[in-house]
This record gives sequence, structure tokens and C-alpha cells, in this order.
Amino acid sequence: MHITCEVAALFSARATTIARGVIIAGLTLIVLIPAMAMGWVRTPWARGEHHTVVQPIAFDHRIHVTGLRIDCRYCHADAERTASAGLPSTKKCVACHSQTWMSTSVMAPIRRSLETGRPIAWARVTQLPDFVYFDHAIHVGRGVGCETCHGRVDRMATAEQVVPLTMSWCLDCHRNPGPRLRPLTEITTMGYTHSPSDTSGVRLVGQGDRIRRLTDCTACHR
Amino acid sequence: MTTISAPRSDPGSNGSRAHAQLERYPIMRELPDDGTLTTQLLAPLWTSHPAWKWLFMASGALSLWFLFAMGVTFARGIGAWGNNIPVAWAYAITDFVWWIGIGHAGTFISAFLLLLHQRWRASINRLAEAMTLFALVNASLFPILHLGRPWFFYWLVPYPATMGVWPNFKSSLPWDVAAISTYFTVSLLFWYLGLVPDLAAARDRAPGRTRRRVYGVFALGWHGSGTEWRHYRVAYTLLAGLATPLVVSVHSIVSLDFAIAQLPGWHSTIFPPYFVVGAIYSGFAMVLMLVLPVRHVFRLHNVITRRHLDHIALLLLVTGSLLAYSYLCEAFGAWYSGDLFERYTMLTARTRGPYAVFFWIMTAVNVLTPQLFWWTRLRTNVVVLFVVGVMIWIGMWLERFVIIVASLNRDFLPSSWHLYAPTWVDWSLLAGSIGLFSFLFLAFLRWVPFVPVSEVKREQREIAFESAYVDRDGAMPEVTR
Amino acid sequence: MSRRVEQPEVNLEFPPGAADPPEWVSRRDFLTLLGAGAAMAAGACMRRPDKPILPYVEAPADVVPGMPLYYATAMPLDGYATGVLVRSNTGRPTKIEGNPDHPASLGASGALEQASLLELYDPHRAEAMRVGRRRATWDAFAAAFAPAALSRRVGARGAGLRVLMPPTTSPLTASLLGRLGEAYPDARTHFFAPLASSARIAAARTSLGAALVPQYDFRAADVVVALDADILATGPFHLRYAREWADRRRASPSAQLHVAEPTPSPTGTLAARRLGATWSAVAAIATALVDAVHRDARSTGRVSGTTDASGGALTPDARAWVAAVAADLAAHAGHSIVVCGERQPSDVHVLTNALNDALGNVGTTVWYTPPAVLNDGGPDHDLSALATELRTGGVDTLVILDGNPCYGAPSDIELSRVVGAVHNTVYLGAYDDETARVSTWHLPAAHYLESWGDARAYDGTTSVIQPLIAPLHGGRTADEVLAVLAGQPNNSTHDLLRDAWNSARGQGAPTTESDWSEALRRGVVAGSAFARATPAVRGDAVAQARATVAARGVAREQIEIGFVPSHAVHDGRFADNGWLQELPDPVTKLTWDNAALMAPAMASRLGVATNDVVKLQVGDRALDTPVLVVPGHADGAVALAMGYGRQGGEAVARGVGVNANALRTSQAPHVAPSAAVSRTGRSHELALAQTHWAIEGRGSSIVGEDGEAQRSTASSVQPRKRRPLTLYEPKPPSRDGFGADQWAMVIDLDVCTGCSACVVACQAENNIPVVGKDGVMKSREMHWLRIDRYIDGPPDDPRFETQPMLCQHCEKAPCEYVCPVNATVHSEDGLNEMVYNRCVGTRFCSNNCPYKVRRFNWFDYNGEIAETERMAKNPEVTIRARGVMEKCTFCVQRIRDAQMASRLAGDPATGPVVTACQQSCPTQAIVFGSLTDPESEVSRQFGDPRSFSALDELGTVPRVRYLARRREADSSDSSGGRAR
Repeated sequence: MHITCEVAALFSARATTIARGVIIAGLTLIVLIPAMAMGWVRTPWARGEHHTVVQPIAFDHRIHVTGLRIDCRYCHADAERTASAGLPSTKKCVACHSQTWMSTSVMAPIRRSLETGRPIAWARVTQLPDFVYFDHAIHVGRGVGCETCHGRVDRMATAEQVVPLTMSWCLDCHRNPGPRLRPLTEITTMGYTHSPSDTSGVRLVGQGDRIRRLTDCTACHR
Repeated sequence: MTTISAPRSDPGSNGSRAHAQLERYPIMRELPDDGTLTTQLLAPLWTSHPAWKWLFMASGALSLWFLFAMGVTFARGIGAWGNNIPVAWAYAITDFVWWIGIGHAGTFISAFLLLLHQRWRASINRLAEAMTLFALVNASLFPILHLGRPWFFYWLVPYPATMGVWPNFKSSLPWDVAAISTYFTVSLLFWYLGLVPDLAAARDRAPGRTRRRVYGVFALGWHGSGTEWRHYRVAYTLLAGLATPLVVSVHSIVSLDFAIAQLPGWHSTIFPPYFVVGAIYSGFAMVLMLVLPVRHVFRLHNVITRRHLDHIALLLLVTGSLLAYSYLCEAFGAWYSGDLFERYTMLTARTRGPYAVFFWIMTAVNVLTPQLFWWTRLRTNVVVLFVVGVMIWIGMWLERFVIIVASLNRDFLPSSWHLYAPTWVDWSLLAGSIGLFSFLFLAFLRWVPFVPVSEVKREQREIAFESAYVDRDGAMPEVTR
Repeated sequence: MSRRVEQPEVNLEFPPGAADPPEWVSRRDFLTLLGAGAAMAAGACMRRPDKPILPYVEAPADVVPGMPLYYATAMPLDGYATGVLVRSNTGRPTKIEGNPDHPASLGASGALEQASLLELYDPHRAEAMRVGRRRATWDAFAAAFAPAALSRRVGARGAGLRVLMPPTTSPLTASLLGRLGEAYPDARTHFFAPLASSARIAAARTSLGAALVPQYDFRAADVVVALDADILATGPFHLRYAREWADRRRASPSAQLHVAEPTPSPTGTLAARRLGATWSAVAAIATALVDAVHRDARSTGRVSGTTDASGGALTPDARAWVAAVAADLAAHAGHSIVVCGERQPSDVHVLTNALNDALGNVGTTVWYTPPAVLNDGGPDHDLSALATELRTGGVDTLVILDGNPCYGAPSDIELSRVVGAVHNTVYLGAYDDETARVSTWHLPAAHYLESWGDARAYDGTTSVIQPLIAPLHGGRTADEVLAVLAGQPNNSTHDLLRDAWNSARGQGAPTTESDWSEALRRGVVAGSAFARATPAVRGDAVAQARATVAARGVAREQIEIGFVPSHAVHDGRFADNGWLQELPDPVTKLTWDNAALMAPAMASRLGVATNDVVKLQVGDRALDTPVLVVPGHADGAVALAMGYGRQGGEAVARGVGVNANALRTSQAPHVAPSAAVSRTGRSHELALAQTHWAIEGRGSSIVGEDGEAQRSTASSVQPRKRRPLTLYEPKPPSRDGFGADQWAMVIDLDVCTGCSACVVACQAENNIPVVGKDGVMKSREMHWLRIDRYIDGPPDDPRFETQPMLCQHCEKAPCEYVCPVNATVHSEDGLNEMVYNRCVGTRFCSNNCPYKVRRFNWFDYNGEIAETERMAKNPEVTIRARGVMEKCTFCVQRIRDAQMASRLAGDPATGPVVTACQQSCPTQAIVFGSLTDPESEVSRQFGDPRSFSALDELGTVPRVRYLARRREADSSDSSGGRAR
């Protein structure tokens, strides 16, 4: 008796409700916060997908790939030979553009580069951490199409990252490359569809993936 | 509510054997009626001891220094410590194991002894549990602090990462994380649950509305109704049941951090029991260090009697002897194995190596000092108890140091042998952790009822009841409800 | 020693943490750190900086980003060329390897060659040309020193012009000096290098009648006797000698190496009979050998006049050694080699020539060629002559072309003061060093990787030196300066080179365009080696030499101090090189210092121990030096390494060690015959990479041989322990299924000299940081591959054990199961993988590694290095961040590249993989390959009866195995020079 009125004096009637609410809220947060964090890193925003990259030159892949049917390897020439696909030298741009478009404002950076001899600073679209040793040559050479990682570049006004590029995303393919590979003739094809009859990928795997397992850490990390 | 229709008889008047038992060292002496007792036990909350402020500030400063030393470690890297190759673990891990060990007495007292119906635990269990919690706070800091890249500590926790990689469940370190966090959670709940009725009492007697409200919030509106008490007892016992296996499991797992390695001096199957015993040993040593001053300062001789001290001393004697046995086993195992490296580490390096002096101090302190407690008089001599407590407290730190550093600094290839010397950061972390502990503990003494009022009252009732009803053969009659 | 004070200064170049003691913390630090402490949880900001891509404006012809190129060039050291192949990643030289076509390399490269890469990127190199205090330009210099201008100063005939340069073998330099001679008939050129000795040439002149140097063929030798000669680890041809000796040992294990030396050297540690003998004793031993060999030779019919045995001066041990060795020599007459070291006086060289002559080695294992060095041993190689000239005045202009003589010159010459007095001094040097500071003009010298030029190897073979990168700091070469003096400043060195060679028609120089490009491609000019000569020894010269040596006698009471080249900084030239400063001495494991090495007996007589500072006194010159006690060191001898105690602008070098030149005089530049040593009571802590030398009776499980047991048994080969019992039977390596490769390594301890070339090679290839002296003292070296040294047994005549220790890539790795985050795991092809980006740094793996080969990034070692040093990093290997563990990966980057290449080529089997350490090893003691190929060398050696696993009993099943060293039975008849 004595006690209850004490409490009543101390706290309003809603005190209990509030207390309960606080406790429940606290418990839920303990669960919710990590859960939300794990969810967030799985969203495109967290991975920088579809995030438009501003380039020094408004280079439009659509025109060059779809329009002019230029093969990826014309500009990204080292893709088959070395780790980095490489970007075209200024001279290479000029090779085609000496006649066309050269005078336009769009091409200003190229003209400047020619005059000053300074390279054009392209912004990186597909970025991997330094401790990841991705090798274009081996992927291209073993039937991984450009599209597989870079998406439908032929439809991009400005190139953007379209895949998660998380480690588990890489692993998905490294654990079972077969179905994702394509004939070497189709490497640069955009919109290539794996026909169920096509076993070329599996064959490629058969041909020498036995040399080492693709899921060894040192396959990518050195 | 259980009503005991017993005549209030002054305990001690009845001369039965069972009673004589209690007579020698009663668990509680000439306790006043509940009201006065409550007032007595809650008194420290309303008045601050003159020395308290200074101690509190001192320990606070030390805690800040702790924070600073951590800052140095995070900013500069582990290189700020004295660690090297081969001695890649040193002070931090020593401190970690040491604090974890200390953190065992609390739960042991409250859970184990509760289940075993050891009544004397009642008066000191809150102190011990608080000690456990604060020790665990320290203990859980060091492993994270110890990482080369502490900001990735969560990689030791199994969660679905976008890397598609999981922790290595073969390693004992992820087990540590689980064990320690569980232990901490349970200990915290257990401690808080025990507090609720006393917080309510504090709420009801607090001078001034603010304090009443504060205590009121934490008392969760406790009324002390029969239903509440019934639920309370059930929950409390359940938690005790839950906590008890943890007392054993946690330090067993910690010991595996060493036992799963193949390093001579670590690679041993007796580590789990050996470590658990050592943990309880060091824990009780620290309980002594804390209880004795508290008892003296707050005049608690009537609730914390010689009986308690006697029992703690006995526990030290038992665990100490068990520990001595473990030391012996270790050495014998090494010798008996006939293994060149084992023998060198355990028999040569330990006893004559660069850290031999610590080994001998540790052995002397941990093995010999508790043997004093074969004598009843020493068991109840406050000074002796305190001194021994401190010695064991240090001795157990040395034990961990010897196990870790003295094993690492001389392993298989003599070419890689190298000494270890702590830097000022190592020392700061050790001192700072003690500072943080004191800081928290002093705060606890000031604002939390550190003697479980309700439990003491309950125990008193039961004792009174028994001593009144115990018949000549010491058998107890039916209690009518 | 006041070096303590200078320590912080010394360490400026190292990661702050490693260097500045955590003791100091500024008030501002305090708060930040407090903050850091508070913000412990908030650490991981995963956002990566957006780095732009910079394509070429015009892509060069053969450069493909990501595809390294290799160029052949040659590194000159003391004038002699060693051929190297240099890897260039998009224009940056990143790794130096041996050139198999070059006689001095045979595919191997020493520690100095490897480390010269870091020298190129050294942030302390002089960056600007200066005159007085002012900045200057090359044109200004060219104008001021063109004949027109200069002749006004030095006179038309150049009487006032002197040139001082290190000994050179360069035909181009020679021809330019010739032109200089035409321009200024009265100008003189002098050659000086601190380590250079004319004794060998002098001896040849007296005993052979011509200036000749001995050449050896160790492949044909059954017995080699090295008298104070570290043939396997120092000298212009040591890479070749080591390789030849190793080949010989492999071919015939009975081939023996006997060494008498004052201070233990890598060669000595491999000796069957090693004798610690002071420098003067070595001379006496040579005499005794001559006599003994003659006596032994009588039976074989070869007799000579000299009969008196001068062995009287020798200790019993020495006599026993001489007797045994002489017998061995006589038994293998015609198939033996006696080598005498540079520091020995000419008489001993004469005796050595006599020995080889008497043994009939000349023509088979020994022959002579003209010296490759220009005017070697000539009067113009005498520095004191120049010094007197300078003192007397009359010299207006002194042109010093590199070599920092003001540091290296013997102290009695006082060159700094003398040079300072010259009106007009030009110094071409890479650093703002002691010489630059007293010179009027300072021209930054170009690194050999930045320059055109040429040089000869020890046997005369010529190499073209071609640049891999444009001079980083506008450096110039000696040839360019000479061209200016000779009046043709506008020709590029390349043109000069072509001209010189075209003019040198018919002297083996390439004349046609194809010859030229071939010379560039292969790195050597075919057939340019000198012709062999096999002159007979003059008896009178020998008698004369014996008399002199006998007269000199053996130092008994007084102490000899020998000035030896540093294994790391050589004569000081590499003093600013962190890789080398931190490279442990092959024998003593000393880093970041030089010390007075002495025998335990001597130390105890003096009442000093390691780290105690003693005062070395030679005449009125004194030097305080810390002591390092070394078992096996000759009693009565003190060895002091040169090249330390630098006072120049090299921040890394400054204050490290003491300057031995302070004790050297022009009379006794190599050995001070009578010195005094006294204690000072002070002490100075040396940074030893290994603090415990005894093997603690664990020999059989660590180095595969149990010291005492071996002495009695004829062969050291023991039955190897079998792989321990296991519940999980390992799957045998097979060609099909995953892991068609199973990588493994074998290291042959029988030929490993411990020269440590592999250590630096690994450091260069794998971007391994330097931790500084403090780091080493705290045992925090980062070397993935270290050379363990055990010195066991009697201190006067110990056993030396050498064992390269690296990650053993255990099939059952203790490190793997204790890692909480799976940062170190096993690959399908048998590698123990270390994933830096997964590591959180619990360091449990290191605790559980019985070999202690794992290395931890205690600080952010790579974060703080200079921009130029970043250029040295190998792009194929991750730069490790603070707080992660690292270790040997078997050069996984090379393995993966090879595998990818073979797969792209559609080749089922992986092509050959050569690890960095293996590539550099002069003796080819390291073999790497796949166990799945039964034909592979590594498979073969895995089965060798000598092969064993270190700490086999632990059941770690290492993929690295060692071949136990072959030791010979103790010839019980001789007490001294016990077989080791």
C-alpha cells in the first residue's frame, strides 16, 4: 500500500508503458542495427553500381560499339595480352578522329593532350582494391566475355559499373565457371546468350583449369 | 508469501549441535530488525566517505591514461609495445587472461554456491559479481586492442559477409569471442536481477525526489509482492543454473588459446582444468582484496563475519593446492614425454632461463602462501588474508606471464630465440586497466547497494527460523505453509 | 660512443614508429591519440580513393603496361663488371638478376648487385649540380672546363690538372683518358679505391716477370686452399668461383676446401679444415706450405732448392693444419688451387704463385691474364704521391670522378684537408658526401642503371652498360666529364661509346651494327676475354719472399688489426642503402654497425664482452669501437669492417658504425701490424639479427647432423626420419585433379655459403620493408628468408652451421588451423597461402610456427617511404599494411604468372618457375619445382639420402627440404684444423 503510492508519486501512469517500450526498442535495435548494416552493403549504392562517372571527354560507347561496330579490343588492346586491358593512347584516338570531330569542343582535351603531351586523365569506372590481382588476359583467354563483368557497354552513354564486384560475386563464377564462359570467338559480343546446347564453356574449364583451383586465395591475392 | 509463524528467538540462545556449528562463526551476528538493517546497508548510498572522492578522481585519471595508451596503440600500431617475433603475445594477453580469471569468482560465488545452498555467499555475492563484471570489461578490451587491425575485429564473428568467407572454426579465438560475450551477458543479467529488489528499497528510502526517480527507473517498478518474489526466485535460480557451466566453460576455452598450439609450454591437455582452478583462485584472492577494506570502512562486521573470511580462505587453500598439483603435472608431463623441446622449456628454460626469477616468485606465491590457511587463526586474521590476497593476485599475473612469454621466447630453433621487454605502453595498459577497474568499482560502491539487502534479510530469517526450530538431533521439523 | 645521440637522426629515413621511441608524445599528440583511443570502434572506412587512368599520349613501341621487360647491363664494382639482367616495369627498374652469359655472374647476382637497385631510388642522392653554395648547370660546367677555358687555369699542357678516380676497367674511359692526355700532356690521372691492393700485381711482376693476375678453374680442383681469401663471397669473381666450387662439390664430394683465415668468412664456414690464424701467421703458413709441399713433392720427383722449414714460428695447431693440408695438396698435385687474399703482402702472393707452380696447377686449374684494371698496380695507383703533389701546391684543378676518396683515404694522408686547399676541385659523386663537402664543384653522378658505358670483368670480358631509365636527378657519368675536359662536351655518352669502340677495331670490340646490338642483348662482347698466360715462377723471387716473410716473423704479443670490406656497405659506397645496412653479416649476423671482431680467448684476456666499447690504437691514432666476440676468430687478430662511420649527407649512413679509415695509414692500409686494444668501460648495443649461436644439442633435428656423432663417422649422411604416423593419409601428388603442380624446394647445405644474396633478392622481389636498427634490436626484421647461423663446439675451433630459413610451406601447417579468420590457408598446389587483406593480426600463427618465419607489420613500414623508393616496389606483389602478418610465398606471383601463361598457350604443364632466392643463388643451392614431375630436379633431390626436413619430428611435413652437409671424418692424427 505504502509502496504503491510512493511509485505513483514518483512516476506518471504511463511510466510502465514507456519503460517496456524502451526495453523492447533496445532489444530490437541490438538485432536490427547489424542486420541493416549487412543489408546495406548488399545494395547497389553501397557497391557503387550504376553510379555515373564523370569523364574528361563525353565519350559515348554506344556510338563506337553499336554505331561504328568497333571491336572492344581495338581501343582496349592489351586485354588479351596482359593484366590490364589498357586505354587507347591519345594518338590512337587521333588516328580516327584527325578528320572527324577533331575541331569540336568535345575533343578539346584530346587537342590539349596532343599539344602538351600530357595524358588524358580518364576516371576509373571499374575499380578493384590493390590487393586484388585481376588479370584480363587469362579471363579473356579462357572465355569470360567483356560483357560478363562490364555489362552492355554498347548501351551505355557513359560507362558505369553494373556488377557488384564483391568478393562473393567473383567467387560465384570462380566456383563454377563453366556455365558463364563463352566461345573465344564471342568474347566481345554484346548480348551473347548462353544456349543450353553450348558446352564450350565447360570444355574450356576442362582444358586446363586443373592446373590450379580458381578458389585458391592466391589465385587473386598475392 | 511464505509465512513463518516462528517466535523471534535471539539466535545463539539455543545450544544445539547444528546451532553450535553456526555458533563458532555465525554467518551474521546480532542483526537488528529488518528496517534498521536495511537502513544500515543502504546508508553508504546517501553519504560519501571523505576518501572516496580522491580515490575516485585518482582512478578516473588512471582510466584516462588507459584510454591514452590505447590511443597510442591504435595510432602507431602494435609496434608501440615490446612484442616481437618470437614473443608475439605478451603483456596484453597476460592481462587479458588475468582479468578473465579474476572474473570467475563472482559467478562462482553467486551461481555455484547458490545452487549448493551456501548461505554465507549472500553477504558478499554482489561485491563479487560487480568485480566479475568490471574485470570482464577489461578482459574484453584487451583481445580487440591486441589485434593488428582492430577495426576488423568483427571478422572473428560468424556473419554472412559479402566476401563469402567465414571465420575459421578450428581456431579457438572465435570460440573466445562467443564464450566471453555470453559470459558477460549472463553475468550482467544475473547481477542486475539480483539488484532489482534492493534498488526498489533504495528508491523507497532515497532522500530527495531525483534519487528516488533514478533508483525508481532501475527498480523497474518492483513492489515486492508475493508473485514478484516467486517469479524472481525462479528466474534467479534459472540464471544461476545457466551461469554455472559458464564458469567452467569460459576459462577452459581461454586455456585452449594456448593448448591447441604445439608450442612447448602451451601444448598440454591439462590446461582447461588447470586454468579454471587458477581463475577461481585469483578471483577469490581479489574478492579478499575488495571485501576486507569494504567490510572495515563500512562497518559490515555483522553481515560479513569471520565465517565468510574463513570460507574464502578455505577455498583459496583448496584451489591453491589444486593449482600446485597442476604445476607438478605440467613439469612431470614434460619430463615423462622425453621430448627434447618440452623438457627444455619446462625444466630448463622455466627454472634457469631468462625469466626464471618470475617463475620462482610465481611458484612460491601461488603454491606456498595458501598453505598458511591450514591454521584457523590465520584463516580469520584480516591482515594475513589481505596480504595473501594481494600476493596471489600478483602471483597469478606472473603465472600467465611465465606461461606466455617464457614459453614463446625460447622455442624450437635457437636461432629465433629473443628476449621480451615491455615498453611504457605495455605498463600503461596494465596500470590503466587496474585504474578502470577501480574507477568502476568505486562508482559501484557509491551508488549501488553493494550488500544484497533483501538476500541478507532472507538468510537471516531462515537462520533464525532454523535455529529456533532445530531439535536436539539437529533435525528440522515440517514448515507449515 | 656518442652514437646513441645520433640514433634518431640515423633513423629519420625509417617509418616514424620504428625509429622515434614511443617515449616522446607531444601535447597535441596526446589529444589526437586520446581521440583515437575513444574512436576505437570507428575504424573501417572502406571507400577507396578514385585514381585516374593515364594512358600514353603516344604508346612506345615495345612497352606494354603490365608486361615487364628485361635488359642486360653490367654493374661495375671496384671497376670490375658483373653482368646483370634488369627487370623493368613500364620504365621502372624493379629487380636485378644475374646474367647467365656473363662470366662474373653465370646467372647469379650477389647482395650488392641486388641492392644497387635501391641505390638508384635513394632519396638522399644529390639532386642538383652546385658550385660553391650556388646551383650550377651542366652547360656552365662544360663552359668552365672546356680546354679553351680550363687551359687558362691549368696551363696549356695541363700541368695544374689532376684527375682522381677509382680504378676502372672501362675501354671507353681508357680512350677518353688517352684523349685527355693528348689535350693536356702534363696532366696526370690517379686511381684510388680504399680496398684496392697492388700486392698481387707486384708479386706477379717480381715472380712472373709481368703484371698478371691469377685466374682459377675450381671445376677442375680437388683441393682448394684459401689463405686469408674469402673466395666464395667477396672479390670481383666470387659469384663465378662459388658456382664452380659448388659444381665441383656436387660432382665429386671428395673435393676439399681448406682455409686459414684471421676472421671467419663464408668461405671459412664451408672449409673441411679451417684454421684461425692472424694475418702474419697466414704469411708464415704460406712459407711452411711451400716447404712442406716441396718435401712431400720429393716423392713425386718434383724437387726444388728451398728446404728449410720455417714452421718454427707457428702454433701446434697451425703446424698440424699445414701438415695435413700439404699432404692433401701433394696428393692432388695438378688438381689443386692455392689462393691468397688481397690483404696479404706481395711476398705471400709470390709464395702462393710458387705453390701453384710447384704443384703443377699452372695450366690446369690456375693460369694468368693481364689485369683488367687500367694500369693496375702502377705508380698512378698510389694516392700518397698525389697527396704530396697537392700539398706542395702547383695543382690548380683537381677533378675527382666518384669514389668519395676523402672518406676512404688512409688517415695519414688527410685528403679532406689537402683537397680543401686546392683552388678548383670538381667532384662527380652520387651523394653530398665527405668529398663533395670539400669540393668547389659538385656534379651529381648517374647511377649505372641511368648511364651508358662499358666495363670489363675480372677475366677481361667486356660488357656494355646501357641505361634503363633517364637520370632521375640529371646525373652524369665520369666519361661525360672526361669528354668535357678532353674538349668534346656535346657528344652523348652513347656516341662516345660507339666512337671509342669503332676506333678500338680488332680488339674484340663490336664494329658492325649487329655486333653492337648483340652485345647489348647478351650483355657481353663475345670473345673479349684476355688470353691465358702460364709463366714459370722465378726461384730467386721465391727465396727472396721467404726471407722477407721469415724476417717479418709472426706477431706474438702485439695485436693485428685487419681492415676488411663490409659484407654490406663494401667500402662505404653502399652506406646509404637500407637493404644492405639491415642485411645481417653472413657469419656474425651483425646489422647496422661494424665492430671489432675478436676471439673469445682474447676478449676474456681483455676482460671485455660483446657490446663493450674498446679503444683501438695504432700508433697515435685511436678509435673507440664496440666489441663483437666471434668463436673461431684468430687470437691476437682484430677485424674491423670498413665503410661505416660516415659523416656525409647520406641520412641512412650517418652515425652508423665507426670509421675504420681513422686507423689506416698509407704504409699499412690493410693490416695494422702492431696495435693496442684497451677497455673504455663504456658499452654500445649492437643490433644482432641472431642473439643465440649455440644449437643446444638440437643439431640432428635442425641441420640434419649431430655435431659429435659426425666427428667419428665417415659420412655425415644419416638415415632420415620417416613421415610421422597420421590418421589422414596425404593424397599422393598426381598430375590429374586439382593441383597438378605440387611446389617444393630443396636447399643444399653442403654448398650454401650463407652469402645472403638470396635475402636481398627476396627483399627486392617481395617489397620487404626495412625496420631500422631499433627494429632489429627488438627482433622485428621483416626478411622472409633469413640465414640461420649456428656456431657450436670449442670456441677456438668451432663448427659453423649455415641454414637458410624461410616458410617451410608445411603440408600440415601449424599456422593455418589457429588463424581465426582463415587468413592463412593451404592452396591446392601445396602453397601455404598468406592473405594479407584478410589478416587481422592476432599473431597466433607466428606463435604456432616452429620455424618462426612469419613476419608482422608492427608499424606502417611502407606508408612512410619516399616517392622515389616507391618506384622500386614490385607491382606484382601487394604492399602490406600495418598490422598484418606476412611471410615467404614461394614467389607465388611468379608461379601464378607461369601458370596463366602456360594455360593461355594451351600447355598442360606449367612452365619452369624460378623463385627470386633461387635465381640469385651463386652456388645454385636452392632448387624449386613441382613434385608431380618425377623427372624434376626437386623431385630427385627430395629422394636424396641427404635430404631431411627441419624439425621433422613435429609432423609438419615441410615442402622445403634440406640436403645435409657432407663433413669429412676427423683425421685423428692431426690435433689442429680438425675436420669441420
